[in-house]
Order: sequence, then C-alpha cells, then structure tokens
Amino acid sequence: MTRITDTFARLKKEKKPAFMPFMVAGDPNFAMSLRILLQLAKTADILEIGFPYSDPLADGPAIQAAGQRALKNGMTTGKAFQLVKKVRQAHPRLPIVLMVYANLVYARGIKQFYAAAANAGTDGVLVPDLPLEEAAPYIAAARQRGIDPVFLAAQTTPSARLRQIFQQARGFLYAVSVLGVTGERKRVSPQTIRLIRRLKKTAALPVAVGFGISSPAQARAVVRAGADGYIVGSLLVSIVGRNPQAKDLPQKIHKLARTFKD
Amino acid sequence: MPALQELERDYKKFRADRAAQQRFARMLSNYVGRPTALYFAENLSRQYKAKIYLKREDLAHTGAHKINNALGQALLARYRGKKRIIAETGAGQHGVAAATAAARLGLECVVYMGEVDIQRQQPNVYRMRLLGAKVVPVASGSKTLKDAINEALRDWITNVESSHYLLGSALGPHPYPAIVRDFQSVIGREAYKQIKNETGKLPDYLVACVGGGSNAIGLFAEFLAEKKVQMVGVEAGGRGLATGKHAARFAGGKAGILHGTKSYVLENSDGQIKPTYSVSAGLDYPGVGPEHSFLRAAKRVRYVSATDKEALAACVALSQSEGIIPALESAHAVAYALKLAKRNPGKTILVNLSGRGDKDLEILMDKINLRS
Repeated sequence: MTRITDTFARLKKEKKPAFMPFMVAGDPNFAMSLRILLQLAKTADILEIGFPYSDPLADGPAIQAAGQRALKNGMTTGKAFQLVKKVRQAHPRLPIVLMVYANLVYARGIKQFYAAAANAGTDGVLVPDLPLEEAAPYIAAARQRGIDPVFLAAQTTPSARLRQIFQQARGFLYAVSVLGVTGERKRVSPQTIRLIRRLKKTAALPVAVGFGISSPAQARAVVRAGADGYIVGSLLVSIVGRNPQAKDLPQKIHKLARTFKD
Repeated sequence: MPALQELERDYKKFRADRAAQQRFARMLSNYVGRPTALYFAENLSRQYKAKIYLKREDLAHTGAHKINNALGQALLARYRGKKRIIAETGAGQHGVAAATAAARLGLECVVYMGEVDIQRQQPNVYRMRLLGAKVVPVASGSKTLKDAINEALRDWITNVESSHYLLGSALGPHPYPAIVRDFQSVIGREAYKQIKNETGKLPDYLVACVGGGSNAIGLFAEFLAEKKVQMVGVEAGGRGLATGKHAARFAGGKAGILHGTKSYVLENSDGQIKPTYSVSAGLDYPGVGPEHSFLRAAKRVRYVSATDKEALAACVALSQSEGIIPALESAHAVAYALKLAKRNPGKTILVNLSGRGDKDLEILMDKINLRS
C-alpha cells in the first residue's frame, strides 16, 4: 500500500473526496515556493507538484508562465527534488505526486530519475506527454522504486486503450475533464460527467479529475458524478502570476485552497 | 495518441486511394508547377571545377518545397472530412504554403507564429492574411518556431475532432515524419530521373539543408538504396559552433524528446530545451526529424554545418554567378556544396535549392552592404 492508496481508502471511508492542489516547483522562486507548498500541505489530501519545463505542451498559459518564472529564477530538476524532500520531511504522511514532462525524466536517465524521486519521498509520477506505447521503461523504473505510475484518461480515449491504461496505472487515474490544455473553465461539461461515469464503471482505481477545475461548485459537480478527487492547479498558480513579489502568497493561496475543502 | 492512430489509419487509406493520389498528382503538375527544373549551374561549375546541379524547388508555387507537403496534407485533411487546418510556421514559408493550400481547397486555416518571427517576417504574415488565413502570434517561451509548434499542438488537442494539424516538417510524433517524407519525396523521384537523363549516371553527392529536415529527406529518400551516392545534410552553424549561438543539433545536441519525437535536441543537462540561433528562421529549431538521427546513426548521411557568414557569402555567389537568389536556408546547402566542390574536383554535386530568397531581402539588406 502506498500513501496514495491509503489516502483514497481512508477518504472513502469518511465519504470525502480528495482535494489535490497543484503548484509548480520553484514558482516564483525556491524559498517562496517552499513556503507555499508547506502551507498548502496543511489543506491538501494529496499534493501535486509540477516540475518546470521549457516546453510544457499540455499546459495552458497560467502554468506555462509559472514554469518560466521558476526557470528564470534558477530552478533545476535537482532543486525541485530538494523541495519535494523538504515537504516530505515536514509531512511524513502526505502523498506527493509529481507531474514531469518526459524529456526531464529521459535527460536524467529514466532509472536515475525515479531513484531520485523515491529518495525525495515521491509517491506517484505523472508524465503527461508519455504515451502508453513508450511507457514500459518508465513504469518498470517507477515500480522498482515503489512509485505509482499515474496516467491520464480523456473522453477521446477509446475503451480498448482505457483497458490497457488500467492495467499499467497505479494510485489513481487522472481524468482530463476537457479536451485541451490545463487552465480555468467556466463549467463542467456533460462530456466530463460522462467520462467520470465511464471510468468509474470499469476502473478499479480511484478517479481524480483535473484540467479546468476552477471553482468549488465545479469540484462538487465532478464529485457528484462519482469522482474520488479533484485537482486544482491553474487557479492557484495564477495567484502567483498576478503578483509574484507578494510576501503573503502562501496565505493567499491557502485561503483560496480552503474554499475547496467543503 | 488516439488522434495520431486515427491519422495513421486515414493516411494509409488515402495512400491506397487511387483517385485521391491522381488528384494530388494533377495538382502537383498544374497548380504547383512540377516537375521543377534540374538546373546545371554552369558558371559556378566552371569556377569550382565540379559539376554542380540545382534542384529548383524555389520555382515551385509559393517559392519553396513546402507546398508539396502542404497541398498533400490539405488534400488528406479534406479526405478525412476535417474542415479546419492548423499550422505552425517559423520563417513563414510553411504558413504561406498551408494558407495557399487551404485557400485552394476551401479549408479554414489558422497559423501559429512566434512573435519574434512575426517581427522578422512581416511580408509573409501579410501574405498569409491575404490568402485568408488567421495568423495567431505566440508570446510564450522563446517566441519562435518551437513555441509555435507547442501552441499548434495545444490547439489540436483542444479541437481534435474538427481539425487536422498540418505539420510542416519531417518531425513531431509518428506518423508525421513519414507523411511529410512521403509528400516531399517527389523531389528525389524527379531529381533521380532528371540527373540520369542529363548525365547518364547518378550524382556523387547530394546536399540539402536540414532544419526539421523535410527538403533533405524529400531529396534523399529516392537515393537511399544507391550506396554510391554520398549524402550530406547541412545544419545552421549560426555564429559558429564554439559561440553556442547555432542550431547544429548533431554537433551540439544529444538524444532527447521534443514535440513527440525522440531525436537529437539542443538542451541543457536537465533536458530544458535551449534557445537556438540562425540567420535563417527556417533552420532555427532545437530538434531535428527523427529519420535524420537514424540515417546519421546508420552512417548513411553525413551531417555538417555552415555558418551565417558562409551562407550569406554563398547567397551572393549564387545570385551573381547564376542569377538565382536562394533562400537563406538553401544558401546553407549551397555554401557546403561549394566547399565540397573545391575538395573534389570533377565530381557531380546535386544541391536541393529548397526555396527562393525574396522573403529574406530585408535580412540581406541588413547584413550585406552592396555599394558598387
């Protein structure tokens, strides 16, 4: 049992959904990012940390800008692992999931990357631009280090492909609520509701919904449809974007995050 | 992934569909103006004591080889029932070709272009708009070609049901490198026959510039089985490899993953993609088509680079000795061909003149002072 599985099991018993805030490591800089993550860790059921990347294909403008801020201020893969480690030390039971683009994993060496991730205290890794066809060495390296390989599922994913994903995925399934990239959306579409129901019918894993969840009402809507958790990223990240110099970023982000916890 | 699998399936059908292929062939002939000429550069040949031939892709409609692929994929888009095409562009050549094919075939066309490139290629921006395309400035990242591809891919994953992504070079995820190679391979098929007719044999060398690598793979493909034909791909050496300001992926890069393909990439030790530099916007890209990485590993094609300076000098040389103003991309190939000619007197060298230089006049005026 990993921290991720434990957490979903416990929340299920308590009949609560998992709140999964997402921030970009090193945004706007190392020190402030650490303060934000430590503060968020108090509210989060599962914490998702994105590693900044020069060419984040799956991300909308808010998270792209966050990555650029972090890189500009000297963020590296090594420093991102240090951040994870510090959060882990302060919160021994909190599940931590990384979202990392394939080239960052590949450049470090796939095995070496997962070893470093495990050493920092990571529970799950999602590689958003890694297709299942190329995933075998990543999955093997993750399993070897006791890390859950997390995969995306979208409304366009055919059923046969979903079955293959179910076989490989561990921890939870990341349901992409919209066609397209991360970013705030006005409402939850009927397609999203259908996707959640379709996944819940066949998947043994918990289902968490992300991409576009930007209000507590939307979070409630996906939970009503059967989701076990929801990821809130762009909305929180844009608080940093509006004023990266603000001293009270951790408080501001935490305050907004709390509105998602019932 | 399902979108790519669907594309692969549709493309196989399109390739096997005789009526569709005939229509493409007809349009290549009466719309694009193919076959393009194979021209013996007599003056340069005399000067360099070699036999230099130019495959005149600059004479194709819209002024570059890009139209071969744009038209092929636009036909494919129609065949797939898509009403909208998405394209990215660096120098604007592929954007113009895509906008042209879209206008001809009645498709809606959206072109993503980095803000930096929009600034340096104003005439092409206007050209695309004149052709009815929507040009969307991209302000993210380095604001050049790679960011335009990011944005085009983001559009595609958002509008995957209505749109076909008309990728302009032999890169990106499978099946794109194969599709683009197939549509461009008309260059090599023609050149193969033309050079045999003209000289009675195959050339000693093929030379082509390599950005993403579509004009090069288009020329090389037909000759790959001919072991005696040596092939050279020329990358952008920018201000010189030692300065770090270049786009020579094979000289300065390593294996990485960019835009859905594993190939040589210019990146830092973490895998963050590095900014590239070249006087020619069409070669200014941090990755290279995966088939070129394969051909290099198989030692079938040799990859070298030419600097800005060498390319500019070759541009002047070709203009003044043959009356042909090449695109700055193609001038890189010409520059290396002239080096090769000097070292190998008497040999036959076939250069892919992938585009014409009109689009580069502003840059040329800025870089080369002509008083006389």
